[in-house]
Amino acid sequence: MSEPGSRRILVVEDETLVLFNLEDILSDLGWEIVGVAMRLEEARRLAETAVRPDVAILDVNIGGGLVFPAAEILVQRGVPVVFATGYGRDGLPPEWQDREVIVKPYTQADVERVLQPYSQQACAAG
Amino acid sequence: MAEVDFAQVFQALPSPFMILDREFRYVAANPAYLATTGRTMDELRGENIFGKFPNRGESGRRLQESFERVLATGEPDTLAYLAYPIPDADGRMTNRYWTAVHVPLFGADGTVEFVMQNTVDVTEYARLREAATLPFTSLSAETSLIERTREAAEASANFRRLFQQAPAFFAVLSGPTHIFTFASDSYLRLVGNREVVGQTVAEALPEVIDQGFIELLDRVFHEGYAHSQESARVMLARTAGRPPEETFLDFSYHPIRDPSGEITGVFVQGMDRTESVRFAQRQRLLIDELNHRVKNTLATVQSIASQSFRSTSDVAAAKRAFEARLVALSQAHNMLSDRQWHDTEMDRLVCQELSIFDPRQVRSSGPSLRVNAKATVALALLIHELATNAARHGSLSNPEGSLAVEWGEDAQGNLVIDWIERGGPPAREPQKHGFGSRLLHTVVTGELGGKLQTRFEDEGFAAHIVLPSGAYIAQENSLV
Repeated sequence: MSEPGSRRILVVEDETLVLFNLEDILSDLGWEIVGVAMRLEEARRLAETAVRPDVAILDVNIGGGLVFPAAEILVQRGVPVVFATGYGRDGLPPEWQDREVIVKPYTQADVERVLQPYSQQACAAG
Repeated sequence: MAEVDFAQVFQALPSPFMILDREFRYVAANPAYLATTGRTMDELRGENIFGKFPNRGESGRRLQESFERVLATGEPDTLAYLAYPIPDADGRMTNRYWTAVHVPLFGADGTVEFVMQNTVDVTEYARLREAATLPFTSLSAETSLIERTREAAEASANFRRLFQQAPAFFAVLSGPTHIFTFASDSYLRLVGNREVVGQTVAEALPEVIDQGFIELLDRVFHEGYAHSQESARVMLARTAGRPPEETFLDFSYHPIRDPSGEITGVFVQGMDRTESVRFAQRQRLLIDELNHRVKNTLATVQSIASQSFRSTSDVAAAKRAFEARLVALSQAHNMLSDRQWHDTEMDRLVCQELSIFDPRQVRSSGPSLRVNAKATVALALLIHELATNAARHGSLSNPEGSLAVEWGEDAQGNLVIDWIERGGPPAREPQKHGFGSRLLHTVVTGELGGKLQTRFEDEGFAAHIVLPSGAYIAQENSLV
């Protein structure tokens, strides 16, 4: 029942290998990756232009910068965001602390759990 | 040559001079002294100074002690500030303030025969300060405090100098408006060497007005409690004419009471903790950064494991591949660690990975060029995959084959890397993209935002990589 079908996800992650792992996990979980950004300016551009995803997983620290400007754009578009970070929730600024967080290194089960609400939404809607 | 008449010089000196014998009896006094004291020489000659100007208080005692020090040591002695009331012409006692220098005059046998005193009447100066800034009582309390400290200094190894020059800072504030009456050298350094003495805290340090310190001083002054604080943040102009800077202080305010118990001022002492607070902040940042790196590295290792074991049935080969990738990652970390995690030399980055091959088969060349930490890790893993691939399927699988790695900077500041394999089996574009080609493509075009051209030719495989300057140039003071 947790098969989300064609639910769409956007990913921001600046490290190639960590991205591979996440891509593999997401594809194993049946998500369609509609956009991948590895650098900040690309993340902002994608946040504005990508076909509206159902959820986005955002690495917080992108090449020494922070992903929040892109997160802001997504939230304004009504896209729920999930942060991936080595710091945990405490590493987030107060205005973002109410968001879902997966702590690096995360497992497939962690990703599945955090995306569960958006997968279930698919079933309810579908 | 004309002789100088020193008696005449003595008479002509514009400031007051007088000479006492060992019994403190007047031997001589110049007209300036007589004018200042309002006496004639006939009135003074042979009279004991303490009989003529009696003072049973502290000032009298200090004056006598100073004379006695000169007699005992044969060294000059100075009283920087002495309150000594003398009767005026009408016989009324008036308060006067003096600075007095006492000099020994030696007899023929080498012992001190007389003491010569030069006094300067600083009453007007004292009154001026008094009128300008201070209630009279706090001035005299302050001056006697400083004077006593000064005399203690002469008796005990430059104590006041230590106080004045102590690394901790001290200041004395007088009256309800907190007028500076003393500030140590370190206090003055703290406030950019501004002229604070004689001014209120609000006048001297206007930037602190809205930071709550004056309200605190008011409470200490009016309520008599002592206040202390650690690592308090205050914005202070540390250099004259520059905007206030973030400063951290350990400090305390203590009420100063006169003998009747009335609060006359506030004693300020403290230490500038800015350096240590900054150090602690930086350490916190570094620990956060370390945590970030460790977590990211763990995530990378996790991914290397999952990629290595993902699509293979040959567990032994997967284990070897996994270990070799870990070693490549570890070597990249070693290179970065040697350079404070700032950057590495392209030369070292390339040679490190290629050193396992026969040097007759491998050639690398390029200018001295530094790449930042992120590009170091990414390129180390990329070069490892390319080299592994060359050894397994490419030119280095053949003893006659060769590999050339060349790098350089183009006119736009891009880092250009050419990987050219020759003499191996003909290269063919793979039907299915494995981990190596996925890594090559993602690192170059994704992570580093560059351009990649690959050529699969009969002569062998070649890759042309162009990385924009923003992706590889080390930035000063960047932690990442």
